[in-house]
Amino acid sequence: MEAEVNDQIVSIEKPHLIAPAGWQPLIVGILCNWCSYAGSDLTGTSRTQYPPNIRIIRVPCSSRVDPWFIIKALQTTADGVLVSGCHPGDCHYITGNYYARRRFLVTKKLLNFVGIHEDRVQFSWVSAAEGTKFAQVVAKVTGDIKKLGPLHLYKKENRNK
Amino acid sequence: MMDYTNQIQDIAGKLFSEGKIDVFIGYRNTGFDTNQVPALITHYKDVDQLVFNEKSDFNLTNYLKYEHTRNKRIGLVVKGCDSRALNLMLTENQINRDRLYIVGIACEGVVNELGGKAQNCLECIMPDAVVFDELLGNPTGKREYKINTDVSELTGKSLIERGILFEEVFENCIRCNACRHSCPLCYCAKCCIDQETSTLYHGANTTSGAFHALMTWSLHLAGRCVDCRNCEKACPSHLPLHLLHKQNEQVIYENFQQHLAGMIRDDRGAFYKYSLSDPDDFIM
Repeated sequence: MEAEVNDQIVSIEKPHLIAPAGWQPLIVGILCNWCSYAGSDLTGTSRTQYPPNIRIIRVPCSSRVDPWFIIKALQTTADGVLVSGCHPGDCHYITGNYYARRRFLVTKKLLNFVGIHEDRVQFSWVSAAEGTKFAQVVAKVTGDIKKLGPLHLYKKENRNK
Repeated sequence: MMDYTNQIQDIAGKLFSEGKIDVFIGYRNTGFDTNQVPALITHYKDVDQLVFNEKSDFNLTNYLKYEHTRNKRIGLVVKGCDSRALNLMLTENQINRDRLYIVGIACEGVVNELGGKAQNCLECIMPDAVVFDELLGNPTGKREYKINTDVSELTGKSLIERGILFEEVFENCIRCNACRHSCPLCYCAKCCIDQETSTLYHGANTTSGAFHALMTWSLHLAGRCVDCRNCEKACPSHLPLHLLHKQNEQVIYENFQQHLAGMIRDDRGAFYKYSLSDPDDFIM
C-alpha cells in the first residue's frame, strides 16, 4: 500500500525522475489569429530560435478558447498548454480578451486544485510586433515543463501502444 | 421546522380550479419511507398528494428543461437556491416567465440523509426566493458569503495529496451523466463531453474520461452554479462534486467583484461580463 502511494507521489510530483531518456515535452500552443499567431510568424521570418516542442493551433480570438480545449489537450497528449492572445485593449474584436482573462484564471485555479501543477497551463499576451517576446515565452514554458517532467496524471492511455 | 403543505395544496387547488395552470410541480412522499420525490400534478384531484417540509430537497427547476413541461403553463415550488437557478434560466431565455406561476419559499434549510442540516444550507447565501408570484414564510434576507470548509481544507494540502484524492474521485465515476441530467442549468441539446461517452471509445469509463467530462462540465457551469447540489444527490457513486463547483465559486467571488450567480435578473454569469481591473498577474 505504501509503495503504491509512493509511486503515485513520484508520478505526480517528480515525474522527471521516471521520464524515459531523451524525453521531450509536447506543448500545445493556442494562439489568437490577429496578434500572437502573427507574432509567432514574425519570430519565424526573423529567424529567431525557439524550442521546437510547441504545436500551434490558430483560433480567431483568445476568447474562442473554451476551457474544454485545455482539458482535452492535457488529457490526450500534451504535457503543457500555452494560450496566447492580444494585449488588453488591443483585441481585434475590442473586448474578447477581457472575457478570456476571466476564464483563464478560473481554469488555472481549478486545474491546480485537482493536482495539475500551475506551470503546466500558462497564458501570455503577445502582440504581432513581439517576435522576440514569443520566442522568450516559448523558451520559458518549455523550460518549466521540462523541469516538471511528463504529465501522467489523468492521461488517456495510448490505444496504439 | 418549516411545513408549508397546507398552503401549497391550497394554492395548487386554486390555480387548477381557475384554470391557470396545466401542471403543478411539487414534492410528494414516496409512500414507503420518509423521503420525498418530485411530483408532477396534472389534475385537481391529485393536489392532496403535495407536501412541503424540510425533507423537500430536490431542485424542481430541473423539470422545466424537459419535453413534458414544454409549452405548458406551470405552477412551481422554489426555495432560495432553486429560485436563483430559475432566475438564470429566465435570463438565458430557456423558459417564458408568462407560463410560470412561482410559489417562492423563505427556506429555513433542508436536512441531509443523516438528519442534520445540509452543508449547502449551512453555507446558504440567499435562503429566500428571489423570483416569485407568491412568497411563503418569513424572509430573512441575504447572508454573508462563507468559504466552503471542504475546499479550504483541500487548498491547505499539497498538490500531491490533492492529485491522489481527485484521481480516486475520477476513478469512481461511472460516467452515467446523472449529474448533467439533474442540473437545471445543463440544458444544451448536444453536449461537448458526449464525444467521450461511447463505450467503444477508449476514454469512456476511465479516470481520464471522467477527468475530461467532470472538469469540462464544472467549468461550463462556473459563474452559473447556484449550489443546489442536485448533482450530488443524483450521483450513484456519491462523488464530492461540490468541491469543483465551490472552488470555482470561491475564485470568482474573490476576484470578480464578489459575483454570485442568479441573484438578480439579467445577470448572465461571471463569464459574460468583464472589468478592466480583473487580475492578470498570472499572464506573461
